[in-house]
Amino acid sequence: MHTPPRTITADLAIIGTGLAGTAAAVFASNRKIACAIAGNTGALAYTTGYFDLLGFFDGRFVGDPWEALAKLQQTTPQHPLAGISSGDVRRAFTEFIAFIGDNGITYSQPGSDNLRALTPAGTLKPTLCLPATMSKGVEAISRKAVCTICGFHGLKGFSANQIAANLQNGWPKIQARQIQFPSHLQGELYAEVAARSLEVPANRKLLARILESEAGQSEYIGLPAILGIHRPDNILEDLEQLTGRRIFEIPTMPPSVPGIRLREMFEQQFPQRGIAMVPQQRIERLDFTGEKIALQLKDNHGPITISAKTALLATGRFLSGGLKARFDSISEPLAGLPVHQPSSREQWYQDEYLDSRGHEIHQAGIDCDASFRPLGKDGTVFDPRLFSAGIILAHQDWIRQRCGAGVAIATAYRAVQAVEDFLAE
Amino acid sequence: MDITKTASPSFKEMALKLLPAEASFDACLTCGLCSSGCPASGLENMDPRKFIRMAMLDMDQELASTPWVWLCTQCRRCYHVCPMSIDIAQLVFFARGLWPEEDKPQGIVRSCQLTRSTDSTSAMGLPPEDFVFVVEDVLEEVRSQQPRFSHLQAPIDKKGAHFFVNQNSREPMSEPEEMAPLWKIFDIVGADWTYSSKAWAAENFCMFSGDEAAWYEIIKKRVDAVNELGCKVWLNTECGHSYFTMWSAINRFGMEADFQLENLVSYYARWIREGRLPVNSDWNRKGITFTVQDPCQIVRKAYGESIAEDMRFVARTLVGEENFFDMQPNRSANYCCGGGGGFLQAGMTEHRRAYGRRKFDQIAATEACYVLTPCHNCHSQIEDIGHHYQGGYHVIHFWTLICLSLGILGENERTYLGDDLLALQD
Repeated sequence: MHTPPRTITADLAIIGTGLAGTAAAVFASNRKIACAIAGNTGALAYTTGYFDLLGFFDGRFVGDPWEALAKLQQTTPQHPLAGISSGDVRRAFTEFIAFIGDNGITYSQPGSDNLRALTPAGTLKPTLCLPATMSKGVEAISRKAVCTICGFHGLKGFSANQIAANLQNGWPKIQARQIQFPSHLQGELYAEVAARSLEVPANRKLLARILESEAGQSEYIGLPAILGIHRPDNILEDLEQLTGRRIFEIPTMPPSVPGIRLREMFEQQFPQRGIAMVPQQRIERLDFTGEKIALQLKDNHGPITISAKTALLATGRFLSGGLKARFDSISEPLAGLPVHQPSSREQWYQDEYLDSRGHEIHQAGIDCDASFRPLGKDGTVFDPRLFSAGIILAHQDWIRQRCGAGVAIATAYRAVQAVEDFLAE
Repeated sequence: MDITKTASPSFKEMALKLLPAEASFDACLTCGLCSSGCPASGLENMDPRKFIRMAMLDMDQELASTPWVWLCTQCRRCYHVCPMSIDIAQLVFFARGLWPEEDKPQGIVRSCQLTRSTDSTSAMGLPPEDFVFVVEDVLEEVRSQQPRFSHLQAPIDKKGAHFFVNQNSREPMSEPEEMAPLWKIFDIVGADWTYSSKAWAAENFCMFSGDEAAWYEIIKKRVDAVNELGCKVWLNTECGHSYFTMWSAINRFGMEADFQLENLVSYYARWIREGRLPVNSDWNRKGITFTVQDPCQIVRKAYGESIAEDMRFVARTLVGEENFFDMQPNRSANYCCGGGGGFLQAGMTEHRRAYGRRKFDQIAATEACYVLTPCHNCHSQIEDIGHHYQGGYHVIHFWTLICLSLGILGENERTYLGDDLLALQD
């Protein structure tokens, strides 16, 4: 069969479609850098939708992330966020959020303090920004308003009773209801399915009727994150009008609607902005020997080569395949970069899972120079055309520090700036 | 059936073979992205995640006998979103093959048998001489009734033609006048094309019946026919699975095909871009709204984003940017309509409509008056669920709208137009 070869040329090839990769594509596109992006499904669909910067530092939850960031820069200079000015961090968040908002998913602007946002366990998580569909949850808690949390029969991993029970002490006017999702007859209800269903105006009317009768005198209604995938802001507004209540979403367990929203929005918007995107496909090989970097991948139709002047590695950690753990060591499988890691397997973990010091393996990752170019074995730049961003970077513990989005967005911002400088030379 | 008594590999062995290098089921988070994105989830108390977990638990007997394998359309959406790249559709193909012929849905089996019954490879059993007769008859009618096309050609068995064009049997069998719009488009762009009297048909339900040998046999006939005529391009017309069954069989069986496989949608886009197909949306002054259905077989399962983009370019050019509304999700992430995988032929109407509910909701959310789709199975299913769930939309072929835009849609080529479009023709 005659199959013409498929080659994509770009100034920047972004490897990875998680938060760091997609943020890098946004920044590159805004700077008129011709870019291509490819990557496996990634962990985006597992996100709560909250964009945190620094939520836990020095043994306690952080109220003012900017102050904590300044301290982090002094105490942990190797942390990926330590080399980025707070002004750049703020600009990175603002630019990224503006892109998302322009495409129908409004986020709150980065403020001076962390917001305390609800989790599906009924706990509070510090975060810098959150989707507009979740904002009124923060408002309802701070006002201790009359509020009904609604769960749905068949929706696993979201218990309105648990949320209300955990918050009741400080918030006596919160109550829980378990209701039937319209037109869902039996079996498991998936958040994604419910969200798609609410994109149909007639289904929203049915749900609004049920909510009105269940919420009693409540001023606020808290729902699992199911308010549509596409343009959720409009769906929230419509449901609020129909019910006459203030409504907010609470993240669910993965797979999460806020993450699927972001992923599908990027997959649709990037091609329209001239970004060559090969979604859901992993780069298999990198070749640095030519004048341009050659990236090999396959989609369902066969092989594709991306030929690029520069590349940005944003492949994440173990879940996404950016790092590989073998029994005795950790490797970076794509470029074969050296990985900063504990000296032996015994050092990977503390004895206690919940040890407040964290586990050393979580600090493993790629070492970079100030321009976010990965270092090779001899400690010098691996290849001047290769850059890196996101949680593959070493010396951070994004889960414990609640800094995953901050690391992804801010390092992508700085790395793309460095790419821009490199291309200008 | 008792598959433990057969020599077939177990599901677990099959599943392990289908994993990419270095991946492992141990790393499956059972996150449920596959199931939450599958319209067949919950039918027959099964879903893709459960199917894989049962394979891992060696529940081969249950997997080989669950009717769910006929409700899964093998659309590969689960594979598309799986972080582990587990190809569940391949396992379903394997499971279908384990069913005794007499227990399989007889509509699919009969379609396969009919496909093998003549040299046409037509799933409706239309023999070559009848096909030739119908083509010549329709051609004669167009020439006499549409003066602008008195010279129209519909070549058959023209050696060395650039395009070998296939044809879904539905047209020559049931609505022959629907062939003419495409011929007129070929005429306008000056395409060098031919039908073949042999292996002209597009459908192939043998793959869906899980019968690998029969699948091979059909594709071999088609590949031989194109090679024999010496055509450069096998041009797949507005039919989804015909492309996938041909393309994947050539790769799977290592067949020698001395030609390229292309899809008509990409050529529509190319001819418009080159100015050879001078369509526009000037006719749509009343703002009639449209959406497109991405057929799984040519978008997610084959060409991916490039053909999805071409399809939108053609649609937007034809109906006007402001009148085009995408379904959500779309492109490679789109949902199968429920017409694929032999579902339409399987006789499981209630299940098929339950599956199609999600497609119906997607269309309803666009509030579009028309669904454009270059796939006959999508066309039939979307029409059926529209009636069943009382949607007010119509389903339409691209060739119809192209001819409408060019002002060359013959009077008997307007079957799929609603009153609003019909009014524009008067």
